[in-house]
Amino acid sequence: MKTAQAGTLESMDCLVTASEAEKGKGIFITMEGSNIARFRDSILKTAKTTLQEMGIKDVILSIQYNGANDIVLKARVEAAAKALIGGDN
Amino acid sequence: MALRRTMLYLPGNNPNMLIRGHLFKPDGVILDLEDSVALSEKDAARILVREVLKNIDFGGCEVTVRINGLDTPFWKKDLEEVIPCGIDGIRVPKVETPKDIELLDEAISEIESKNNIPEGKIQITCLLETALGIWNAYHIATASKRVTAICPGGEDLRADLKTSRSETSEELVGPRRMVVLAAHAAKVDPLDTVFSDITDDEGLRRETEWIKQIGFQGKSVIHPNQIPIIHDVFTPTEKEIAQAKKIVQAAKEAAEKGLGAVSVDGKMVDKPVVKRAEYTLQKAGLLEGGE
Amino acid sequence: MAVNAVGRDIPSSIPGYKDDVVLFRGATKRLPKGNRYGKKNRTTFFTKTDKTLPNIKAAIRESGLQSGMTISFHHHLRNGDYVVNMVLDACAEMGIKDLVIFPTALFGIHKHLTKHIQKGVIRQIQGSVNGPIGQLVSEGGMELPVVLRSHGGRPRAVISGDVKIDVAFIAAPTADKYGNLTGACGQSACGSLGYTHTDADYAECVVAITDNLVEYPAPYIQIPQTQVDYVVQVDKIGDPAGIVSGTTRVTRDPMRLLIARYAAKLIESSPYFKEGISFQTGAGGISLATAAYVRDAMRKRGIKGSFGLGGITSFFVDMLEEGLFKQIMDVQSFDLAAVESISRNAAHVEISADWYANPWNAGCMVNMLDTVVLGATEVDRNFNVNVNTESDGALLHGIGGHQDTASGAKLTIITTPLLRGRLPSVVDSVYTVTTPGEVVDAVVTEFGVAINPKRQDLLDAIKPSKDLPLVTIDELAEKAKKIAGEMAPIEYTDRIIGVIEYRDGSVIDVVRQIKKK
Repeated sequence: MKTAQAGTLESMDCLVTASEAEKGKGIFITMEGSNIARFRDSILKTAKTTLQEMGIKDVILSIQYNGANDIVLKARVEAAAKALIGGDN
Repeated sequence: MALRRTMLYLPGNNPNMLIRGHLFKPDGVILDLEDSVALSEKDAARILVREVLKNIDFGGCEVTVRINGLDTPFWKKDLEEVIPCGIDGIRVPKVETPKDIELLDEAISEIESKNNIPEGKIQITCLLETALGIWNAYHIATASKRVTAICPGGEDLRADLKTSRSETSEELVGPRRMVVLAAHAAKVDPLDTVFSDITDDEGLRRETEWIKQIGFQGKSVIHPNQIPIIHDVFTPTEKEIAQAKKIVQAAKEAAEKGLGAVSVDGKMVDKPVVKRAEYTLQKAGLLEGGE
Repeated sequence: MAVNAVGRDIPSSIPGYKDDVVLFRGATKRLPKGNRYGKKNRTTFFTKTDKTLPNIKAAIRESGLQSGMTISFHHHLRNGDYVVNMVLDACAEMGIKDLVIFPTALFGIHKHLTKHIQKGVIRQIQGSVNGPIGQLVSEGGMELPVVLRSHGGRPRAVISGDVKIDVAFIAAPTADKYGNLTGACGQSACGSLGYTHTDADYAECVVAITDNLVEYPAPYIQIPQTQVDYVVQVDKIGDPAGIVSGTTRVTRDPMRLLIARYAAKLIESSPYFKEGISFQTGAGGISLATAAYVRDAMRKRGIKGSFGLGGITSFFVDMLEEGLFKQIMDVQSFDLAAVESISRNAAHVEISADWYANPWNAGCMVNMLDTVVLGATEVDRNFNVNVNTESDGALLHGIGGHQDTASGAKLTIITTPLLRGRLPSVVDSVYTVTTPGEVVDAVVTEFGVAINPKRQDLLDAIKPSKDLPLVTIDELAEKAKKIAGEMAPIEYTDRIIGVIEYRDGSVIDVVRQIKKK
């Protein structure tokens, strides 16, 4: 399965791993990390919006979260998704 | 003239520093896409830097981005992503000849016009990290109106000089003096390279005192803890402030009386001296940044 | 239910705490009534010249400790303490149950008590909880609520009779057979024994547990034989590595240093920065760095202070020796240098928690403080501070001297990063009020310094600059909200698992059970 990553596990960051999903399977997001409880909904929303803006309909995202805010999260999701579409690794 | 005593590098793939670096109140921040970013992270860092530039208020700092070298496949992409985000300038590594600047100038102009940015708004700071770059310093500094600062390299320059780091950085004395000379001749700011031992506060203070004395206007910074020390060195003494106040006051009075010449303590004072005095007060935080 | 002076709904009766809860009405509103509590008279004749007993169980037997009673401990051995665990193990083995434990604080090492809580040996904790015990309590693992008091509020509760201690167990780094105790020497030396004094004075029975029994009389006596009923020798009362740290160093973390520079600049710009200044800082990174910058400013401007207060580090010891303080007043010694200094230097004075911070005596030391630098988990638009609960609502920290020093000092400074990771620490309203905003004068963050508008005198005296950027607390709250983005509220139930007393014994807030992780 093709995957791509962006980000780090440092404070105020997150490590996003994007994996290819079969066409029609939709967007599937999992997340884990410290102090995540109160941001779960917000993280989901930002990740989904970012993917939708990029026109991505089917992908599996795994987010290892360490306090990234919306700005950082969006950049990491975009970078991982772009690498998945464009990259060969 | 805007203060450039401290230009703080912010690693381009580090959200913590990108978002909070300006809080340490350097005169400028340099969001770095070059040396501090691993090859595999170039794309992710570029996206992150773009998002940070779009969303973070840097609180009055001069905002520049260090792009990847003109010999890499990244530099054009770097420019395309960051210039539309409202930055003040580009810091470009390993400049060796005026031709490099012409190439960069052209690319920047194109992006400016595509994004309705006034032509010439984006300034350039040139890093001279080879013997050839240092040798061409004046011609590089005058190759484009965009160039407003030149800066000698550190480790790369040492390597190119076929030498290594010494306790006193003796090996960089010549290149530093050449950069200062070329910069002032070209009317751009000479800015010094970083001091890399981030725990040696006393060493940093000594080096900063020296580079200030030989004519540098500021220093690149790799750790926030270095900022207060450098500011302290560049802050004028009480005596300098008193003298500067006298000169600025005299100039003001002369202007009010419609006099062309300014005199302080019975001596005539030239216009550049008045400007210098204003700059002194600005560094002391007693005058708002002009122009 | 009724609303107290910081806007919290507090039930008039809280099972396991009080049937007639006293509401917090303001920092100086509650006054004491009646007389002090006193323990029974006793006599000891010349026929008794040795108070040692062979082991802890023997001491428990002799003390008359029974199920349902209240036992007290102190935390000078911090995370190296073995005594609390040893005593509770012995109680469990002897079949004693339903105990109320009344420690000055608990640490991570006391997670060992979890099994005693689950088996009913411990019925209630009146003192701070943290780590696994805090989590257990927060998720509803104890029937009776934890009661939290400040370092000054605790001796107040003892002296006024709110809490009657049946047996006080004192971990004594050095003792003699007749019960003279000191923390100044011994393999488990901890310096000051400041928190134990009131317990030694008021407990019905006092048991000293030592790992260094010396010839009579012991040196540097802090707790005298007149207060101690029994002495027990054990192998080890603690692990020295967890008791004191090595030399305390100032942080190199740039964000902490930045906040410390602002805090120090605020102190330096205030009317209190003059000859004879007194101050207290914690041993935390920002606090200690603030002290370092203030020290530099004192040197530069040739100012000498009067006293340094609170938990003492090598840093204050150096300032004392340099002549920047006349005395240091030590309720708890944090590092080796402080432990060594307390017996060597007459100007390094051990003080009790009562002397330090009790609001109900003829005047405690915090009243003489010019400035204190404190931390916070959260602070809100009304300057109310939370140091007790975490972002998920779990009760994981004690009050310490927070309320006491804040209400005593002329300039109370809260230092905190505006955000920790993504979590904002300046908020609309704190989840738990520990210290009321009326006694907080300034909040210092990396985004600037907010002075309480109630302190117009300070606002008039202080000129903003690049080194001291002034902002409003509302600006800080907005900024934090903007950076952090949307947050879901904490999910909790109605059940009260913790009571936060103000130092005067009124209830400033309660903590409710959170949903299990």
